Amino acid sequence: MNKSLKEKLESTFKGLRIAVPEESRIAVSAESDNVLAILRFLKDAGFNHLALLSAVDWIEDNVFELCFILTSYMQNDDEVTGRQSLHIILKTKIPRKEPQFKTATGIFPNAEPYEREIHELFGIKFEGHKRLIPLLLERNYEIPPFRKDFDTRKYVKEVFDKIPSVEIEEK
Amino acid sequence: MDRNQITKWLKAPAKMANKYSLHVIYFCTGCGIIEIPPVITSRWDAERFGIIPVATPRQANLFLITGYVSVKTLRPIIRTYEQMLEPKYVIGFGSCPINGGMYWDSYNTIKHLDKYIPIDGWIAGCMPRPEAIIIAVTHLWTLIDKEMANGYKKYRENYEAYRKNQEMALGELDWPPLFSVSDKSRGNVQ
Repeated sequence: MNKSLKEKLESTFKGLRIAVPEESRIAVSAESDNVLAILRFLKDAGFNHLALLSAVDWIEDNVFELCFILTSYMQNDDEVTGRQSLHIILKTKIPRKEPQFKTATGIFPNAEPYEREIHELFGIKFEGHKRLIPLLLERNYEIPPFRKDFDTRKYVKEVFDKIPSVEIEEK
Repeated sequence: MDRNQITKWLKAPAKMANKYSLHVIYFCTGCGIIEIPPVITSRWDAERFGIIPVATPRQANLFLITGYVSVKTLRPIIRTYEQMLEPKYVIGFGSCPINGGMYWDSYNTIKHLDKYIPIDGWIAGCMPRPEAIIIAVTHLWTLIDKEMANGYKKYRENYEAYRKNQEMALGELDWPPLFSVSDKSRGNVQ
C-alpha cells in the first residue's frame, strides 16, 4: 500500500518530493498551489482524518512551512504484529512576507481551530476562513509571538517587569 | 482537640472555628492540580485538617492557585478572588506563581502573582509534594493565630494599586471595581 500510494501521488501531481523516513510515514513536500488538490486526493484515498496542522518559521530561508499530518480512522495500530498505522506528512512553503494561504476547512472542517491558532501565533492569513478570530491570546502583540524575530525577553522586560509591586503600608 | 488550645477557643471561638474549617476552592491553572486528588482523597486525607473542597467561590475561604498563571487565566482568578467571602486566604502552589518559574521569559505568563492579588503564603517547588499543601495549611493556622494572614485586608486597603496593576496586565476590565475607587486615581490609570 505504501509503495503504490507513493507511485499514485507521483503520477497524479508534478513537482512532489516524496520521502519515506519510516515504514509507516510518508513525507510529501509540495508546491503551495497543489496542496488543496493533494489534500482532496488523499481524503478520497482514505486518509479522512487531519490529525494536525502546524507551522514552522524558517527565518533564514525567509519562509513559513505549513505541515499537515493526515491519517485514517479505519486502520488501527496492530499490537500483535507491531505494524503502525500510516501517517502522511504534507509540507509546503509559503513566503514570509505577508503570508497567505487558502483555507483547508472546505476539505477538513476540523482545520478551523488549527488555522485560527496559526493565524494568531504566526500571523498567517487563511483566505476563505469564516471565523478568523483570536483563539488563545488575551493581549495584542506587534509581532505574532511564535515568529522567530519575536524577542520574548525584551517583551517580558517591557511589559511584565514594568508592572510595579504593590507597596503595602505597614500600620 | 488539643487541651492547650482551650483558652484560645474561649477567647475567640469564631476565629478558631474558621481556622479549622478551611473551605478550599482550587484553580486548576497548571500542572499542580495533579497533586490535589491525592490530598483530598484517602491517601493524605485533607479532611483530617478541616480542609474540604467546595463547588463555588462563594462558599470558599481558601484559594489554592496550583501552577502557572497565563494572562488569560488571570482574569478568572481575579474574579474568583473577588467573589470569595472574607476572611479569605490565598496560597500560591509551585514556583510559577512566585516568579514565573520555568516560564520566566514567556510572552504569555504572569510572573509575579502577588502584583495582582494578595498572597498569604507560597509553597515553593516544582512540583511540591502533596504533604506540602498540608504543611502550608498548618503554617497558615499559625499566621491566622498571630493575625498575620491579612491579605484580604491589604486588598481592601490597597485596592486602587491592585486594580491599576490588573488593568496594566489585562487592559480594560469588564467588571466594576469591588471597592470604591476615587476618581482621582482612576484618572491616572489610563
